[in-house]
Amino acid sequence: MFKGLFNIIVKEVKELVRDPKILLGMIIVPLIMFPLMGFAIQTSMETAEESMRSISIAVMDLDEGPVAENLTNFLIALNVIIVEVDYLNFTEAVNYVQQLNVTGLVVIPSGFSNNITEGLKAELDVYTVFRGGGIVESTSSSMISALFETFEEGLVVQKVGEKFPETRETVLNPIEMSEKSIIKGKPVNVNPSVLFGLMVLQSTGMPVGIMMLLIFAMQLAATSVASEKEEKTLETLLTLPINRFTILAGKLTGSIVVAVIGAAAYIVGFNYYMSSFMGMMPTEIGVDLATIGLAPTPISYLLLGVSLFVSLLSALALAISISIFAEDVRGAQALVGPLSMLLVFPMIIMMFTDVYALPFPLMIVLLAIPFTHPMLASKVAFTGDYLTAVIGIAYVSIFTIVVLYIAARLFGTEKILTAKLKFRKLRFRKLKK
Amino acid sequence: MGLAVECNALVKDFGDVRALDGLSFQVKNGEIYGLIGPNGAGKTTALRIVSTLLLPTSGSVKVFGQDVVDDASEIRRVISYLPEEAGAYKNLSGYEYLEFMAKFTTEDKEVIKESVDVAARISGLEERLKDKVKTYSKGMKRRLLVARALMTKPKLAVLDEPTSGLDVLHSVHVRGLIKQYVENQGVTVLLSSHNMLEVEHLCDRVALIDKGKIVAEGSPAELKKSVNASNLEEVFAKVVGFV
Ligand SMILES: Nc1ncnc2c1ncn2[C@@H]1O[C@H](COP(=O)(O)OP(=O)(O)OP(=O)(O)O)[C@@H](O)[C@H]1O
Ligand SMILES: [Mg+2]
Repeated sequence: MFKGLFNIIVKEVKELVRDPKILLGMIIVPLIMFPLMGFAIQTSMETAEESMRSISIAVMDLDEGPVAENLTNFLIALNVIIVEVDYLNFTEAVNYVQQLNVTGLVVIPSGFSNNITEGLKAELDVYTVFRGGGIVESTSSSMISALFETFEEGLVVQKVGEKFPETRETVLNPIEMSEKSIIKGKPVNVNPSVLFGLMVLQSTGMPVGIMMLLIFAMQLAATSVASEKEEKTLETLLTLPINRFTILAGKLTGSIVVAVIGAAAYIVGFNYYMSSFMGMMPTEIGVDLATIGLAPTPISYLLLGVSLFVSLLSALALAISISIFAEDVRGAQALVGPLSMLLVFPMIIMMFTDVYALPFPLMIVLLAIPFTHPMLASKVAFTGDYLTAVIGIAYVSIFTIVVLYIAARLFGTEKILTAKLKFRKLRFRKLKK
Repeated sequence: MGLAVECNALVKDFGDVRALDGLSFQVKNGEIYGLIGPNGAGKTTALRIVSTLLLPTSGSVKVFGQDVVDDASEIRRVISYLPEEAGAYKNLSGYEYLEFMAKFTTEDKEVIKESVDVAARISGLEERLKDKVKTYSKGMKRRLLVARALMTKPKLAVLDEPTSGLDVLHSVHVRGLIKQYVENQGVTVLLSSHNMLEVEHLCDRVALIDKGKIVAEGSPAELKKSVNASNLEEVFAKVVGFV
């Protein structure tokens, strides 16, 4: 019996891996698309950075006082290219700015310097020139406001220093706040926003990865069942001296083998993709996760692995049972497609909130979906709540066995050959009414 | 001489359609038995039931004394079935396909190799067996499948229109092989066909089926004599009643 199983697995893997469509999906997307996406994002980021460095501002100085001059010098000191337009009226200045491809326009009204030295509020009009409205422009706009805020801060520090020459620091910053966290009941000296950043990485990265693996495996399983019908090999297969459950198991295992190969390619590609952003993120978070108990322990790794595996099986069993009703590969993939909604739904919810914080009925619905559980299990490292993971694994296992049993029953009867016709008849009857 | 197939008052319904309506026939060990009849007569349905793919609605079918419902897995060990419309795994080579199929009947490497060699001879595909199945023509695929159905020397070969899609030369070749196989290997063959010439030359006995029932049965010679016809085509026309 095992000999037959191995024979089938080998054949499934050969068939799937040699299928040009599947091969494309496994190579093109992860190994070419991801790096390309990464490259595109990286290049546009670099362009944005580039244009930030070369910010140019038109200055219309109607004040010509000392503070206005200070402001201009401050901008020049920060490598901002200054274009003076004070000899024009405002409309002319705007036209000029438009033509010259300048990032912004500052209008310093007369009396600006005077108001500031007198201790009154001074006005300043800062325009950002809109052109395409892309990311580059939004960053240069915030760059401009940051520049003026820095200048304003400098004024504040200067004024405070004049009033309180000894205690300037404490007046400006009267409270020294230090932010810490409590994790698993233990206080740790780590800023919570750092931890939240980590959790976001985990709670988006994991579900996305899990979802891609599951959807890919489901498509493979559906393909491997439906192609037996499409290629008219099923009848021969079903008359061979081999247990039909073994055929099913062979298809499941073959799909898993290929899905794991595909997942490896995805991980390589996705890593490359993520590493294109790494330059923009603080590389060292300066926290040793293991010492504060946030690094996954061997047990949580094991639980996550088992949880992933049983939900992979449940996904495949679902995909196989459904694709029995399809008459060709395309039909099977169309039938399996809506199943991925079952994956997306928990993923979206889990990315934004905690399952247990949901209204009760919604929580039940979510927990009934097997694919919620590996995502829950991926949070075990943060919560230390092993029980939830174990219960999840038990539930998904039972779910899988029930579905596998139904799939095997369908495989074991003549329904696999006639199901499609019944399906059609039902539709026909409905139409007649 | 024992019985290879024993079909008794077989009825098969597909919803409202009655495909087989009390079909009864017996195939003796070592003979070639043919089912002939117009399109939709129920030939394929009967062969599928014998091959344990479909379940009878009522009546019974025994293959070498074993029931198709209760002992399906025993029957699968001794038969091989060639479907009317069949394909092979298109991303495997002809050799890989034959080897894959042979491995289900035995674990002995020598026997597997021998089966594949036999199949290579039957199919006449020679070097093309190294190519992927998806590069084969329809007739080449059919020859591959006929070869695989016979290569393992099953006790009963169930062949649904074995020569459909083959050219004259290859049909003659395949017919010759089937005949030779039955004589040398003690294989029993149950086949269906539209080709009267084929049936007349190949079959020891034939059953004419119409609307799921047997309308005439016997050796080709007997049948011709009974309705006073010069060939089976005429018998067929007279019995089914459109002359
Ligand atoms: N899976 C099925 N579902 C519903 N009806 C079916 C099914 N298979 C066969 N039938 C019906 O059963 C009857 C017999 O069909 P069958 O395929 O056995 O005929 P056949 O003698 O093999 O014909 P042909 O010479 O065209 O191959 C037909 O009326 C057909 O429509
Ligand atoms: Mg037929």
